[in-house]
Amino acid sequence: MKNEWWSCDGGGGRPVGPGQVIASRRSVLLTAGSLLAGWAGAGSALANLTLTDKPVHDRIMVVIFMRGGADGLNMVVPYAESAYYRARPTLAIAAPNDSSAKAASRTIDLNGFFGLHPSLAPIHDLYSEGALDIVHACGSNDQTRSHFEAMSTVERGAARDHNGPASGWLARHLAATGGNDSPLRAVAFGDTVPDALRGAPQAIAVQSLDDFTLQGGPLYEAGLREIYGGKDAIGHAGEQTLAVLTKLRDLDPKSYKPSNNANYPKSDLGEGLRQVACLVRSNVGLEVACLDKGGWDTHVAQGADTGWQASLMTDLASSIRAFMDDLGPLKNRVTLVAMSEFGRRVAENAGLGTDHGRGGPVFVFGGGLKKPGVFGTWPGLAPDQLDEVGDLRVQTDYRTVLSEVLETRLGCDDTAAVFPGFVGPRLGLFQA
Amino acid sequence: MNKETTRFLSRRDCLTVGSAAALLAGCAPIARRFVTHPEDLPLPTGDIHPTVRLLNRTGFGPRPGDVARVEKTGHAAYIDSLLKADIPEDLGLQMQLQRLDVGQIDDPDIEDLPRAEVIRQLQQAAILQAVYGANPLKERMVDFWTNHFNVYALKGDSAFRKGGDERAVIRDHALGNFGDLVRSSSRSPAMIAFLDNTQNFKLHPNENYARELMELHTLGIGGGYTQKDVQEVARCFTGWTIETRFLRPKGKIRFDPDLHDDGRKTVLGHTIPAGGGEKDAQLVLNILCAHPSTAHFISAKLVRYFHGQEDSALISRAADEFSKSSGDIPSVLRVILDPVRLGASPPIVKRPFHLIASALRATGGDTDGNNGIQKHLIDMGEPLYQWPMPDGYPVKTTAWTGSMLPRFNFAQAYATDSIPGTSLGSVKDPFISSHQRRPQDSDGLLLNALRGKKPEQALALCLAAPSFQWY
Repeated sequence: MKNEWWSCDGGGGRPVGPGQVIASRRSVLLTAGSLLAGWAGAGSALANLTLTDKPVHDRIMVVIFMRGGADGLNMVVPYAESAYYRARPTLAIAAPNDSSAKAASRTIDLNGFFGLHPSLAPIHDLYSEGALDIVHACGSNDQTRSHFEAMSTVERGAARDHNGPASGWLARHLAATGGNDSPLRAVAFGDTVPDALRGAPQAIAVQSLDDFTLQGGPLYEAGLREIYGGKDAIGHAGEQTLAVLTKLRDLDPKSYKPSNNANYPKSDLGEGLRQVACLVRSNVGLEVACLDKGGWDTHVAQGADTGWQASLMTDLASSIRAFMDDLGPLKNRVTLVAMSEFGRRVAENAGLGTDHGRGGPVFVFGGGLKKPGVFGTWPGLAPDQLDEVGDLRVQTDYRTVLSEVLETRLGCDDTAAVFPGFVGPRLGLFQA
Repeated sequence: MNKETTRFLSRRDCLTVGSAAALLAGCAPIARRFVTHPEDLPLPTGDIHPTVRLLNRTGFGPRPGDVARVEKTGHAAYIDSLLKADIPEDLGLQMQLQRLDVGQIDDPDIEDLPRAEVIRQLQQAAILQAVYGANPLKERMVDFWTNHFNVYALKGDSAFRKGGDERAVIRDHALGNFGDLVRSSSRSPAMIAFLDNTQNFKLHPNENYARELMELHTLGIGGGYTQKDVQEVARCFTGWTIETRFLRPKGKIRFDPDLHDDGRKTVLGHTIPAGGGEKDAQLVLNILCAHPSTAHFISAKLVRYFHGQEDSALISRAADEFSKSSGDIPSVLRVILDPVRLGASPPIVKRPFHLIASALRATGGDTDGNNGIQKHLIDMGEPLYQWPMPDGYPVKTTAWTGSMLPRFNFAQAYATDSIPGTSLGSVKDPFISSHQRRPQDSDGLLLNALRGKKPEQALALCLAAPSFQWY
């Protein structure tokens, strides 16, 4: 945890201060199951809600942002490339058939060329079932290799650095589709709304649905409702918050019990996805959910089959797997995209880590995929195939993937409005 | 905000039409523009009391009696006095700070404390100084520079080094010279370790500090440097590390010539001759501090922080002053804190730290700065020294409007005097005491809501109201 710079989750990234904050969150986790087993039972608020509320919107987009620049080459490993092993004498993950390595340390073959890091094993079944596609050598045209610039580019849906709109791509998508006035239409799990949702009138940030309670009783709440009329940015945000409060009071997320023996890790991401599943299942009008998984800036001591990055992958994969298990057939309504601001340098550095790079994988989970596969054009890893700094070339613009998700899965009929100036080919990931 | 914004819907357009909902429901062409490029929601239309606003822009808001005092002095003369920042600190505050372990700078024993305890004390010191500090503009600049030179206390041993950084770098130079500030930051063990310069060696340079030094601390992105410059600056800083040798003063900054790349370098067109040793870093810092991009970048960031908007005329005047005065921070601030322009600038949303400090000050409350009040700072999303990225907490409105519930809960807890270690002051209505008159915008609503309420309920609503979030 010592090296976990910019971790937004796990013990290392918890705000430090009064212990009771952390304790209360923990105790909620530990007791939730035992306290309220029959969450969806007859007579509960949820049962009533489900009966009376039709799905406001039947397609849901979940975005997990891997902040820090995830080393995609060790996630979706091009094990058939000898150049990969030459560039990473210490950090490379062994090929699936490499008998010199322990079986548990080898990549899990996907298609004879790429394989998953062993810590991503929990999502391998999803790939086999056709609920996961990967687009590799994907990214933006940002050349700065700055976390902030690259994140800003991707979250605004721009081509590169300062060009393009100031609002977020998800905000523009929500504005362009309309027709859903649920206060829970767009939910970000964390302290703040990410830039991708910047400008979305309905976006709200919640640290935890379980703790989303107002102190002070009904008189205070009534007073707040009087003074929060939604005229300006704060007025609107307060009004939205009060609407969410009402909705969640009916919903009682604390007593949500995952289905299908889904086993969420006790991490921020696992907990966040558990709450997203609760919102999906209860038809409260959720359309977009944003979660962060931080800690990927592995300049030093990144680890290979085990270690720093491997533990991030374990959490990522087991959280997503639990989410998909929990949703069961409902996952056909959901598309989950996991992406990062950039990939990392092909060659490992002297600190046994990797520096900021360019291309990397984008993961697309959920229903409606045509067939499992690793998509996009692979530029190769030989020195003459890399860019001038030594990075994996970006062959597929990230907006290709997002456009395709929006128009095929989320009913967006004008992706040009969401990604101004972007006209790109489609990969054909989804069934028509 | 960037230049492209003007192509889309401006804030003024939003205000004219009313609200986002009205836009969507209303006339089609405008709605279409909004649909394509939604911008930030409109700002409030009402007036904020000019003196209250000044006290919030140049400090953490008025204490009882401040408004009358500042109006008697006059805004311009008051700003002059703030820039001097020569009022002796309150003895009680000094004693409280001295009781903290983190107040003992260079105390090697601090590493024996649990990290969480050190961070708790660091936050405690910050809260106490924001609430009780005698020089409000200095406290605001500490907030500004702490975020500008952000060090994430949860990375490695940063927590143990941040106390020294906060005092010797941030507080000592908050209203000093920018060059001195950057130079002392570059020699701060907290910064050197946070941005991996301890891993920056001749044979294996690490670009992290070099990149952020130019991108975030001085030139700014687009400030004219290239990836090659990043690599060259990294070479100049090779060998700067932290003392770990036996029987040496542990934790101090140290230059190790064996780890330094002593070859010739070129930085932004300037040649750094071979054999410069530890002087390389100083030469680089001189180049960066004298660069016009730095003058512009720092001035623009200060204008955004104090005015809540871009103001290109003001930025260029401030940048000129920055260059002319060789980075004298008070001289630059004197240009930026033009009372007329401040009064005409759009409202800004208080960050949680500001909200808490201003609520306590407005009501004459008292706090020990400890766990009780820190819990609210954490819930509202601004645990101090815990922004993981080197760019510091954001200032833009949209970063803070997503999470209103913790603000409501803070207002309620404080107004009912139920925050441990914090006690409610004598002033039960911050608008009457310090605002002199209630601001206009949503306060028709607020006045109605206050009718028939008990004093603590009324105070909670006043502190939770939109008009107390804006300044």
